[in-house]
Amino acid sequence: MRLPPPQVAVLEAASASEPRTTDTLAEEIGEDEATVAGAAFALDEAGLVDVTDRTETSVSLTDEGRAYADEGLPEVRLYEAALGVGADEEPASMGEVIGASSLDGGLVDIALSNYARKGYGSVERGELRADRSADPDEDSEARTLAELVSDADAVDPVDLDADVLDQLERRQLVERHDRAVRAVRLTDDGVTALMEGVEPAETADRLTSSMLTSGAWRETEFAEYNVAADAPEIRAGRAHVLRQVADRVTDVLVGMGFQEMEGPHVDADFWINDCLFMPQDHPARTHWDRFALESPERIDDLPEDLVERVERAHHDGAGEYGDGYNAPWDEDFSRALALRGHTTSLSTRYLSGYQVGELEPPQRYFSVEKAYRNDSIDNTHLLEFFQIEGWVMAEELSVRDLMGTFTEFYEQFGITDLEFKPHYNPYTEPSFELFGTHPETGDLIEIGNSGIFRQEMLDPLGVDCDVMAWGLALERLAMLITGAEDIRDLHGTLVDLDFLRNAEVIY
Amino acid sequence: MPTVEAHPDELRTLTGREDKDDDELRSDLFALGLEYEGETDDGAFELEFAPDRLDRLSVEGIARSLRYQYGEDRGVYVPRTNDPDWTIEVDPSVPSDRPYVTGAVARGVDLDDDALDSLIQLQEKLHATMGRRRVKGAIGIHDLTMLKGERLSEAAADGRTKSIRYVGVETDGDRFVPLDSERELTPGEVLEQHPTGREYADIVSAYERLPAIYDDIGLFSFPPVINGRRTEVSTDSRDLFVEMTGTDQRTIDEMLAIVCYALDARGATIEKVTVEYASGASGAHAGDSLVRPDLSTDEKRVTHEQIERTLGIDLTPEAVVDLLERSGLDGEPTDDAYDVMIPPYRVDVLHPQDLVDDVGRAYGFNELEPRYPDVGTVGGRHERSRLEGAVRNALVGLGFEETMNFHLIGRADNHDRMGVESGSEVVGGGEAATIAEPYSEEYEIVRTWALPSLMMVLEGNTHRSYPQNLAEIGLAAHLDDDENTGVAEWRTVAAVLARHDASYEDAKARLQALARTFGVELETPPTDHPTFLNGREAEVVIDGDSVGVIGEIHPEVLAEHDLELPVVAFEFRLDALR
Repeated sequence: MRLPPPQVAVLEAASASEPRTTDTLAEEIGEDEATVAGAAFALDEAGLVDVTDRTETSVSLTDEGRAYADEGLPEVRLYEAALGVGADEEPASMGEVIGASSLDGGLVDIALSNYARKGYGSVERGELRADRSADPDEDSEARTLAELVSDADAVDPVDLDADVLDQLERRQLVERHDRAVRAVRLTDDGVTALMEGVEPAETADRLTSSMLTSGAWRETEFAEYNVAADAPEIRAGRAHVLRQVADRVTDVLVGMGFQEMEGPHVDADFWINDCLFMPQDHPARTHWDRFALESPERIDDLPEDLVERVERAHHDGAGEYGDGYNAPWDEDFSRALALRGHTTSLSTRYLSGYQVGELEPPQRYFSVEKAYRNDSIDNTHLLEFFQIEGWVMAEELSVRDLMGTFTEFYEQFGITDLEFKPHYNPYTEPSFELFGTHPETGDLIEIGNSGIFRQEMLDPLGVDCDVMAWGLALERLAMLITGAEDIRDLHGTLVDLDFLRNAEVIY
Repeated sequence: MPTVEAHPDELRTLTGREDKDDDELRSDLFALGLEYEGETDDGAFELEFAPDRLDRLSVEGIARSLRYQYGEDRGVYVPRTNDPDWTIEVDPSVPSDRPYVTGAVARGVDLDDDALDSLIQLQEKLHATMGRRRVKGAIGIHDLTMLKGERLSEAAADGRTKSIRYVGVETDGDRFVPLDSERELTPGEVLEQHPTGREYADIVSAYERLPAIYDDIGLFSFPPVINGRRTEVSTDSRDLFVEMTGTDQRTIDEMLAIVCYALDARGATIEKVTVEYASGASGAHAGDSLVRPDLSTDEKRVTHEQIERTLGIDLTPEAVVDLLERSGLDGEPTDDAYDVMIPPYRVDVLHPQDLVDDVGRAYGFNELEPRYPDVGTVGGRHERSRLEGAVRNALVGLGFEETMNFHLIGRADNHDRMGVESGSEVVGGGEAATIAEPYSEEYEIVRTWALPSLMMVLEGNTHRSYPQNLAEIGLAAHLDDDENTGVAEWRTVAAVLARHDASYEDAKARLQALARTFGVELETPPTDHPTFLNGREAEVVIDGDSVGVIGEIHPEVLAEHDLELPVVAFEFRLDALR
């Protein structure tokens, strides 16, 4: 039989008649105890030895205990001093006895507190008596200390008086230590194996380059690892969970034929709102949630002819039967800069031809970019959020096309029961809020807003075919997918790194 | 979105459908786009809806829509109106900022507590929406019996008329007792002392004179602020005078139409009022005599093709007419199109497409079969976004944990706490685009670099295990006169390495790896940057252009962020790796 060298050594050193502890074996064969224990367990597994565990208690003196063993217990020294001044005849003053005992500091208190307890005499009203019949040589505490100081290892605590030991431990003169002791005993199979002959095999902890170059690996036995044990933690670099969701959305949209848009975050109200046929006195435009800029205040240039057409649509509407708004129009307000409240400003820039030139149908465009709302922050609202914005331009588009497109999109995220609730937006008609069932909670939740762009919006932009569009907050989708309940966990400087480190990957 | 309260008992009474239980009503209302949000203490539904159908701001208007939905009513309904008895005379003194007025009389109205509450609610909701918080239009409703206006007039055919006068007055003009007050106050005192006056004082603060309405007894209304107590409406009122003033005649006329329909539903007979603008009055109607309310219908032509095209289904002309009538409209088929008659409360209809929407709602949009459009296009990412993705992959490969931080930041976080002065020439030192009237010092500007955001994440995570190797690719911006918007925006790549033995070399090694990955030439000549430790800071020069900074964060900046271990960092423009 070939075994790794430590196992051979342990097997040979073990006895069939009496268990031997791993530390004695370790000393005998010159290995460390952990190696011996490992080898013993391997042999136990193979049935060649029995390993038994028991707890062994040892006792050792503390520094204080050692000092008393040398100089005598303070109460004994006090008693001897008391005898010296004749306190067994007449009560002696405490000062006199203490002076004679040469005890000082804390030892005086210790001596006094144990003196009467152990029957050496009494202490009353500053006077001390000694009991002549007491015998310091019979002091069990002192004797135990003396025994321990001579050779603690040779003393088995079982042989000591448990009460005395407890008392000494309370006095912090001794310490008890528990130790697991493993003992190894040869089994019959082990004896048989030894008789048949056991030889050491070459084993190695690690595969090395030299083993490979020399070919020594062929003769090598590799030590087995505990492959079930936890390894030290390492930290992986990783993309942000919200970014993973955004990438997933982008993949889906690109797969559906959408091109990505790009444009300014700080933009003129003209692109953000006027081009969307939003009247200038619309509550959303004067509302406090708009992020107006103080610096810079106005855009330099707007395409003049486009501004004129948009203004006309606001005043007169579009088409023969169109009406406009009875709302004020101020070009200065059109030029006012703000952080875009929705990324539909990108759509107006693209549809107008201003961003990438005139677009001919068919087209599909999207973006997954930031929009800004001057809102109060809570677990579902942030000042900044990623808006998924998409639109389709074609000669003819119906509500059914819109429903088909969004049904397809949401199905990619496991939302298969899309509901279209008729809605109102100033820039789309018909308009729909999109509702879907939360895959986990089963609640019906709003997951987007959509519609077919109005003629009053498209005419001034120079688009004479149909365009349908929709938007939703990426964070809402992300919360759906990740189950996050607080949007602030996902996004911003308040983030908890552990949340990001433990977030499940999205793909 | 606006909300409106409607008691289910009232809806049952007004629709004549006592058989509808609360659940059915809730579901019928949802189908109209009125979402049940909860109930008031006395059991009224709180309903939220999109702000287009403002005629549904009253329980009467909601009931009307339900009656069409139930088929109890069909087609256009216009209340009958009696000839005018009263006149509103518009004086040249009326402030030019608020030149317009309109009005109507409602007689025999049945005002119980519920009806009065509904009227008050309609008034408030119209103020908040069409009235643009009373700036564009404000409503005053008065008990007609309290008005004294009878006097001789040469203009009237029978030699007598009843009139009230819309005039402009000085702040210390005539006193009157406003609602919710015991004392006589001048208009100026109302603005200073009366709670409602203080609330709306800003609307009239720039007016050259204050608007006021008089009858023969004196001032009884101070629009758009408050009415007088003398003409206050109560459940005992049977005849009402409704006046509205504003900055736009059409808007107040439309608001008036909605109010008249609601009063008609409460059994009132609407009586017209003549509005006589003096020739010297300001505004577009000087010298005109208007008869109000204008309950005339509008007409728009919508083609059959447009309906079928938008809904994506085939319909017979009979079906279209039926759907129009179920929407409270009338449709007359003519030449592959329909002349559609629109009642005056439908102020939301601006375009034939709005009628197509009505047809679709009546048909039931959720009855339509979705279909994927048969349109072929080629998809793709923007070049910038592809580059960003590639850099992110490289950073993740280098062991960075990506963060996504806000683009908005406080001035202190962006500049001061980093030791950087706004307007200095260093990376991050640009002048920031600034938000007007920010609510919080934490979000005042658009960040000029991303490193401060990463430092804040480190600051907030000192209880988490190290190393913390964080990166972000995100927006940064600063003022730039050469840009059309006045703001230069770019994507920036920022990274920090925080651990007990972080050194300059650790940052440089990773930056080198990035440069090599993207095939660009990297140089790091020494520089001065106040965020970094002297002698351990360098310019990031890529292909000869200075694009960023790298170094060990200055201990002062670390201490400012409560960090007790070294941090090394770099930041540079994303487009440098193109």
